[in-house]
Amino acid sequence: MTLYEKIISLYPELATYNFATGAITLQNDSDGKGDYIAKWEHPTLVKPTEEQLQGVA
Amino acid sequence: MAISTITGASTGSTGTVITTGSSAAVTQSMLGTNVAGNGPAFSAYAGSATTLTNGAYTKVTFDTEEFDTNNNFASSRFTPTVAGYYQFISNIAFAGSVTSEAVIALYKNGSIYKYGIDMQASGIVMFQGTFLAYANGTTDYFEIYVYQNSSRSSVASSSQTYFQGAMVRSA
Repeated sequence: MTLYEKIISLYPELATYNFATGAITLQNDSDGKGDYIAKWEHPTLVKPTEEQLQGVA
Repeated sequence: MAISTITGASTGSTGTVITTGSSAAVTQSMLGTNVAGNGPAFSAYAGSATTLTNGAYTKVTFDTEEFDTNNNFASSRFTPTVAGYYQFISNIAFAGSVTSEAVIALYKNGSIYKYGIDMQASGIVMFQGTFLAYANGTTDYFEIYVYQNSSRSSVASSSQTYFQGAMVRSA
């Protein structure tokens, strides 16, 4: 499951959210370290913790 | 005695003597207004495809250089060592079409600096972004990232997936 999919699983209301130019930016630097949350400035939803993300099946 | 102009004996033309001061080299700051300089320029393309992550900005790999006049391009990153204003252009082709949205962005120092085109359509196979940015000539660096959400990879192609830049004005 990708980071994007995990976030949508935690916050289903983000399924229609604009991840391209919105307040949340996911990023992959093509360095083998995978995806990460580069920016989380959502006005109401709290940035998920690593434990929450790892807990998503 | 001060000399302000020199007349060419063979052509009869006149000109102006420009002194370089203590340095033997003409620098960017000595150039007159609207005179193009000899600043850094590069062109690189994707010799191999980049797997693009869904819902995220992925750094695009440009692993083959066509030219890099000042050796400022490495690891798909341009770090100019001459301060000034740089024009960039990047074209990205997708393996298979993107069916919803694709965005190209110029990253500066690891974060989004300027968005390029944001295409929201079905059947996006190739798009391009152009950018202008200032570089301090020491720590500033530039990369290209792409956002898409259709599980696509970039195409490895010298003519379709590339990143180019050149100084257009000195600092």
